[in-house]
Amino acid sequence: MDTALLIVILLTGFYMAWNIGANDVANAMGTSVGSGALTLRGAVILASILEFSGAFFFGSHVSKTMQSGIINADLFANDPRILVYGMLAALAAAGLWLQIASYYGWPVSTTHSIVGAIVGFGAVVGGLEAIYWKKVAFIISSWILSPILGGILGYYIFSMLRKKIFYALNPLEAARRLTPYIVFVVVSVLALVLVFEGLRNLHFDLSLMQKGFLTLGMALLGAGISYLLVRRIAPQRQTVLAPVSSSYGEDVTHSLERARKHLQKVSTSTSGELQYHVGLLVEEVKGIEQTIQQKSEVNINRSEYLKVEKIFGYLQIMSACMMAFAHGANDVANAIGPLSAAVAILTTGIYAVDAPVPTWALALGGVGIVIGLATWGWRVIETIGKKITELTPSRGFAAEFGAATTIVLASRLGMPISTTHTLVGAVLGVGFARGLEAVNLTTTRDIIISWLVTVPLGAIIAIVLFYPIRAIFG
Amino acid sequence: MLTILSLFGRSPFAPLQSHMEFVAKCVHCLPDLFDALERKDYDRVEKLSEEISNLEHDADLIKNDIRNHLPKSLFLPIDRGNLLEILSIQDSIADKAEDVAVLVTLKPLELLPIFKEEFKLFLHKNIETFDEARLIVKELHELVESSFGGMEAAKVRSMVDLVAFREHEVDVIQRRLLKSSFNAEDQCNYISFHLWQKLFENIAAISNLSENLAYRIRMTLDLK
Repeated sequence: MDTALLIVILLTGFYMAWNIGANDVANAMGTSVGSGALTLRGAVILASILEFSGAFFFGSHVSKTMQSGIINADLFANDPRILVYGMLAALAAAGLWLQIASYYGWPVSTTHSIVGAIVGFGAVVGGLEAIYWKKVAFIISSWILSPILGGILGYYIFSMLRKKIFYALNPLEAARRLTPYIVFVVVSVLALVLVFEGLRNLHFDLSLMQKGFLTLGMALLGAGISYLLVRRIAPQRQTVLAPVSSSYGEDVTHSLERARKHLQKVSTSTSGELQYHVGLLVEEVKGIEQTIQQKSEVNINRSEYLKVEKIFGYLQIMSACMMAFAHGANDVANAIGPLSAAVAILTTGIYAVDAPVPTWALALGGVGIVIGLATWGWRVIETIGKKITELTPSRGFAAEFGAATTIVLASRLGMPISTTHTLVGAVLGVGFARGLEAVNLTTTRDIIISWLVTVPLGAIIAIVLFYPIRAIFG
Repeated sequence: MLTILSLFGRSPFAPLQSHMEFVAKCVHCLPDLFDALERKDYDRVEKLSEEISNLEHDADLIKNDIRNHLPKSLFLPIDRGNLLEILSIQDSIADKAEDVAVLVTLKPLELLPIFKEEFKLFLHKNIETFDEARLIVKELHELVESSFGGMEAAKVRSMVDLVAFREHEVDVIQRRLLKSSFNAEDQCNYISFHLWQKLFENIAAISNLSENLAYRIRMTLDLK
């Protein structure tokens, strides 16, 4: 009977991981496919690698919370098997509820349903004192804070891009100059996580100094590579800035520009009447320049913004990778947390609160996510990619980077948050920074309603499932 | 799990531009209309007037469509009121074009030689003003891309100034045109004279509204 139970638990946990891969990975990759920064095949391959590494190297914190941070296992010490049934019931309840919700198209979060299910089962079967309410309160507040933090980051990242690049006199040049810095920041966030946390699972031991240097080195390397690449993307500034207008050649506009600059130099270094006269001359030259340029300008701008977006296409690949990594790290816990708790009790017979999350379980979760992505998730990525055309690479980058940073932070703190809702918050933030054409605010209402419904329903379904499971296997 | 999809509402900017294209079609029918009038080809005038009326109706449909899909819960990069105002000004330009087309068909009119040249120039300048304003609307996409600021905004500002200047030119021509038309006392009866005055007013309204439109768009620009 135990073997059968073990198999059922593994299958349910695997199904949850599959579900996460099938539905949620699209959040990270869909926008990049939509903006044309990545092909569908490229997106799936990249997402597979990063989701797996996120789950494997960085998934233990949140999984630990799920495994032993919500229910006080001491109360079940005399019959730990109840906990096994409970965890199985929670997994099955969350899976069932997600199935129903996705059938109706409700914006339901995996995290919320699984946490609701665990809390519900624990409170009903073990009594109210079986739950670490303080921890649960932390988790719930992180659900509220994570979209807000994602939103704030998205807002400020996009505002920064807007100010430094889109408002610059020469957006392309500004984008080229800024890119290495952006890459530096993105890579260092990712490297910090990998070096300081991820290597633990592989049993590399480095000193703090070594870790710091490794992080810095990776970030600098990334920035250096991006610097070289960006130089290649847009090598000729001249042809971009001053294309041949209909009647005057490039050299004419160029000479005019130089004449104006020389006159301006004269006017700033003189004073009195002379300055006044030179000032008049400068104005006149400016006027001539403008009339010549007016016609050609329309085309310059268009191609310039396009090129800026092209650079951001590459940056967006990085932010999407980071998003996939963060998603794997946070969401793998939804499947693996309850699973590893149940399996540990079942195989050892006792419940060790301090037991670390087994590496094989994280790997199983990672594989489940990748299989979900390969069998079904790519379809969702394709759908999202086709429909989200509004999110140009610069906007996508701001939203993804804001969301991913929030999720990485939450993952380090062991907070199981909803990656989807965080991304929604970040996209809203970009919208509030005047980055998007039309943001539908009713979505936020739907999300709040789905919270209020998901947690209790997850709890109820878990309780309902718990008794038949105990009857069958008990 | 397609939550993220529902976040993107229907953008009103592309429909706004296509609305402007219909308005432009209306306005661009006017030279043909007065050509036909000059040739006293009243059948053709009738036909063109009907065409303008149809185009105006098409523009109305787009306008209603935009208004129907602009709920309060939609967050736009520019003020919603401003956007609706822009739409309504665009629409009133089409209305004015239609008014002109209707007025022309009320009575077989004659384009008197005394103000013929001035009138042609007047009409041409009005349409030119409108076209300059239309170019600004065409820039909307780039404005959205640069989130209503920076170099793009500077360019639009200079375009707005140009529209204002054209409108001023129209005013000057209109003054001359009125003078000539008042001198035509003995060449036309009062009814025709009154109709011409109405026509002048409505045509002049096209450039006035174009200027309004340009200023409205300018108001959406980020003040930095």
